[in-house]
Amino acid sequence: MAGERVMVIGSGPAGLSATKELTNMGFNVILVERESYLGGTPKKLKYSLLFPELRPATEVIDPLVKSVQESKNVKFYMESIVEGAKEEGNGFVVNIKDKTGKVTSEKVNAIIAASGFEHFDSRRKYEYGYGIVPNIYQISDIERMLSENKLVTTKGTPPKRVAILLCVGSRDATVGNTYCSRVCCAVSVKQAMEIKERIPDAVVHIYYMDIRTYGLMEDKLYWKSQLEYRVGYIRGRISEFMRGPNDTVIIKGEDTMNLNRALVVPYDMVILANGMEVGLGSKQVAKALGLQFEEHGFIRPSDPDRLPVQSTRKGIFLAGALTGPKTISDSITEGYAAAMKAYEYVTKGIWDESSFGKAVEVVKH
Amino acid sequence: MFMGKKMATRSVLELPDDPRFMDMAYEEQGAVSEEERNLSSLKPEDRETAVKFWQAVKSDFRFDEYLRGCLNCGVCTSGCPAAKFYDFGPREMIQYMMRDEADKIWEFVNKKVWACVQCYTCSMRCPFNNEIAGLIMVLREYSVQFALESAKEILAPYRRVLYTVMTMGNQVTPDMIQPEAFPDWGPQAVEESKNMDVYRKSIPVDLMQRTDIGWHPSLQTAVEMMTIMFESGVMDSIKKVDPDLYDMIEDIYQDRKSQLEEIKEKWEKHELNENELPDSWLDL
Repeated sequence: MAGERVMVIGSGPAGLSATKELTNMGFNVILVERESYLGGTPKKLKYSLLFPELRPATEVIDPLVKSVQESKNVKFYMESIVEGAKEEGNGFVVNIKDKTGKVTSEKVNAIIAASGFEHFDSRRKYEYGYGIVPNIYQISDIERMLSENKLVTTKGTPPKRVAILLCVGSRDATVGNTYCSRVCCAVSVKQAMEIKERIPDAVVHIYYMDIRTYGLMEDKLYWKSQLEYRVGYIRGRISEFMRGPNDTVIIKGEDTMNLNRALVVPYDMVILANGMEVGLGSKQVAKALGLQFEEHGFIRPSDPDRLPVQSTRKGIFLAGALTGPKTISDSITEGYAAAMKAYEYVTKGIWDESSFGKAVEVVKH
Repeated sequence: MFMGKKMATRSVLELPDDPRFMDMAYEEQGAVSEEERNLSSLKPEDRETAVKFWQAVKSDFRFDEYLRGCLNCGVCTSGCPAAKFYDFGPREMIQYMMRDEADKIWEFVNKKVWACVQCYTCSMRCPFNNEIAGLIMVLREYSVQFALESAKEILAPYRRVLYTVMTMGNQVTPDMIQPEAFPDWGPQAVEESKNMDVYRKSIPVDLMQRTDIGWHPSLQTAVEMMTIMFESGVMDSIKKVDPDLYDMIEDIYQDRKSQLEEIKEKWEKHELNENELPDSWLDL
């Protein structure tokens, strides 16, 4: 069995967990990573605590990074991208381009694409003034500020009034993202609690349409934030931000629980809960590997219910947020699943055919 | 208990499974169907028209395209300049429409709908891509179609504007708007307007850079324009809300039409002296 090689593209939670499982099963792994470090977006943006357990992100990511780094069966291609995959024999020949432009070819038996997501760039919602009005941040900026313990406004003081606006770049047809990004509610509530933990006398308001702290997170986040931290929830989406005196941010919204009541309220700091998008990285990977996109721009699995980690091209598997918004634990689970599917495929040639979307059923009532 | 006597006269009712019987107001009104209950707040003489009005709006060809759904986010109302000054909000209207509340729509169309300034900010920002300002336009159109008293009242001061638009094609032209009349534009506007003609002529796109012909359409243009207004049903709407204005425009239309026909006849008989032709109908 020696000599079987699987390529993993991306070294975020999904890519790392797939790599780890494959090496545990005795495979050689070729790991291609665009950045110069392992760990993916959680490392890149320096995530602080993870929801719902409120434990440091490093506690989850670092052991994965360590076990992959220490493995002798992993060949790393850092600061590199895949350029194309040609079928050859029972596998693929993949071209890998590094940052100097040098192209290397690798022969592999299967590929796991785990190139992840990118945060929505709030500058596309120009009425929110992100990047123009000071003291407006995204949740992805706040994570770094929290983990580096530098949660201050432009005046250098901790904020006393904070507003968090949910659904920025999600559930919004004006930017073309009509899906829910799943994690931003939980991340925002978690950040609200973290802010209250650091600045107990701060006023934190969350502007929401629906709070989607689904499953076991309901009481761990939504209830707890009200019971223990007195976070305020205001129902309504903010329509625009203005620069106020002393670098405050004035929000304009409607309290939709009270008909037609307009809100014009100043805050020291505003946080935009920007959603998830497939991102240019995963788009490039999909193009290089010849994968299909689904209607929201994410990568299409061959069957979203039955075969969520199998791509539409034989021999290529998917793991993590490139098939849709996912939490870190979901991505790690998908890494396991993709590793197992790749193992079956390489050792026994098992490839499930999908009938998804092909059958035309006439429904009679 | 002082209520005892009254309580005793009431027999115990067996409630069916219909959830409407659980309504707090049940004792007063009994079981009322949704449609009927929605009308109970209106005056009896208004009820029939209110239902007909709502049916007409709902069956408009634009309605299903414009009204898609509502997340109740409030972006429309919070971006709305009219909501700042009036008890008006686009979300309110969308909700009434989604819930088929004919009585609330009736109340809305008789007052609040006229607060909208048609800036279309709500339509642009709506995350559900509703054409909200378009829906308001539909409501306004039908309130004119139905010749509602509120529409007549609100349109009365605009008689002169309507007259100018219908007969001359526009209400104001850029050269009529001078900064002297708008002191809030500031001194810079006065300075810049000195060479406004040159600026306009330097626009590299052919926009017929003329501002002096606003109220001087040629006879043929004026007749064609009014023909469009009559044929497309715009004048029928005006007839319903302001019959006097309709008569006035009708007279002008017939006048000019016969003038144009005279000229055409002359031309066909080769009797027309082209030098005598007017530039504008005003010269006739």
